[in-house]
Amino acid sequence: MLYLEDIRTFYGEIEALKGLTLEARKGEVTCVLGPNGAGKTTTMFTIAGILKPRTGTLFLEDENLTHVSAQSRVRKGIALVPENRLIFPQMTIAENLDTGALSRPLKDAGIQEDILKMYERFPRLHERKEQMAGTLSGGEQQMLAIARALMAKPKILLMDEPSLGLAPLIVKEIFNIIRQLNEEGVTILLVEQNAKMALTVADHVYLIEQGKVTFNGNPSEIHQDEVIRRAYLGSEVS
Amino acid sequence: MEDFWYEFIEIIQTIGDGLLFGSTYALIGIGFTLIFGAMGKLNMSYAAAAIAGAYSGLAAFVLIDAPLFLVFLISSFASAVLGYLLYLCCFRFIPSSNHLAALMASVGGLFLIDELIVHATQGSPLTFPSIFEDSYFEIGPFGIRGDLLFVFLIGLVSTGILLYVLFRTRLGLATRAVAQQDVAARLCGIGVHKTNSMTFAIAGLLGGIAGAMTAAAVGVLSPVMTVPLTIKGLIVTVIGGLGSIPGAIIAGLFVGGFENVFLYVRGIDERDMYVVALLFIFLVFRPNGLFSKTITRD
Repeated sequence: MLYLEDIRTFYGEIEALKGLTLEARKGEVTCVLGPNGAGKTTTMFTIAGILKPRTGTLFLEDENLTHVSAQSRVRKGIALVPENRLIFPQMTIAENLDTGALSRPLKDAGIQEDILKMYERFPRLHERKEQMAGTLSGGEQQMLAIARALMAKPKILLMDEPSLGLAPLIVKEIFNIIRQLNEEGVTILLVEQNAKMALTVADHVYLIEQGKVTFNGNPSEIHQDEVIRRAYLGSEVS
Repeated sequence: MEDFWYEFIEIIQTIGDGLLFGSTYALIGIGFTLIFGAMGKLNMSYAAAAIAGAYSGLAAFVLIDAPLFLVFLISSFASAVLGYLLYLCCFRFIPSSNHLAALMASVGGLFLIDELIVHATQGSPLTFPSIFEDSYFEIGPFGIRGDLLFVFLIGLVSTGILLYVLFRTRLGLATRAVAQQDVAARLCGIGVHKTNSMTFAIAGLLGGIAGAMTAAAVGVLSPVMTVPLTIKGLIVTVIGGLGSIPGAIIAGLFVGGFENVFLYVRGIDERDMYVVALLFIFLVFRPNGLFSKTITRD
């Protein structure tokens, strides 16, 4: 579904992604793990079109989107739930959801229906729909960021560290939502530092270090690899 | 006792006139604050574009004997086009991290427009068509000048339309999204440059109306109006709180009333000194202005 080949992204002269190749298959949760500074967020921003790669190609369902702008990529079906949520703090929850649907045509009759679906999926957002988003808790903001991205009706949902800064109970809730979305057929590319939680939902895993893929396989293969297991999951996991 | 009563009525009357005229400052302040909200940058050429817009309206009046509403409309649209051009010249292609370059480019824009006006008019003031100058309404001991009332009403209607666009339309939603979180706005499929250029054009529409309102209330247009209007706009923006539209409205009216009081008490020579002093007082004691934009959790 989403295919990146030999992507090189730079910050000035610093090469952050050094020929990254990865694939996210339709209907699956593909998980990208890696330490701080490995290039996980850079990967997400490159896919979303916020950062432009110097070389390499990006395909979504056989369509080359390498030179397509960020706003057009949303229309083509790529939506990102960014790290730290980046909700619009001085807008209400309802307005945040409306903003998520701005990539859809004004006459799209499904928008109101989808907003109701979001409220059904996230009842806490419904209860507070007229509340300013900046006053929500971290977990609620994460739910809002997911709901806002879903309002674009994406073909693939990119999620950058959805567990970052959240209490363990809320992290569980967020991963339940990810599992649920995937069961409903949403293709997900997930970037996480919380490897244990990520592996519970992943169908396929990539490890990246210093801007390169160092492992590519399914979660069971990670459990079998002693070095990777120790580095990412701790030694107690067998 | 009679003297005191007379003085009291005069002061209230002066404040009232100032509040009505203050709607022009409110519009200019809203324009500054809209652009600051969207880009986090000050557009110093904004008020000059407003005055240039009013000159375009005046040209239509002189050349084709345009009716007043058309003069206002042309002023407004000319200022919007100028606003868009200034965005292209001073902001669009300058890296967003380079605040000083954009600021200096817009200061350059201010002086360029000023010089163009001086060149086109030989620096002489031109008579601007007045509106309702003979109308005068009496309410008890007070009076309301028809032209100032008209200026106030135009300001009110323009602000109402702006608020409608900002809070009830997709364009307004996109504008607010870019102002609050531009990366997230791009992730929602919003074209940031397109939205910014629309913001400059909308601010220009308001500026042109404010320029024409100022000229209509004073009865003249002169190149020497550009810098004082820029300074008043900045003062209103700082007092209202950078990025706050309600703040700009209230601060605009407040500055209008305040300067008229000092016009009455200390005369035209000293009036602006006190208005600028007000800026310093706010910067020292309430640097975020009357309305802070920060939203925090309960």
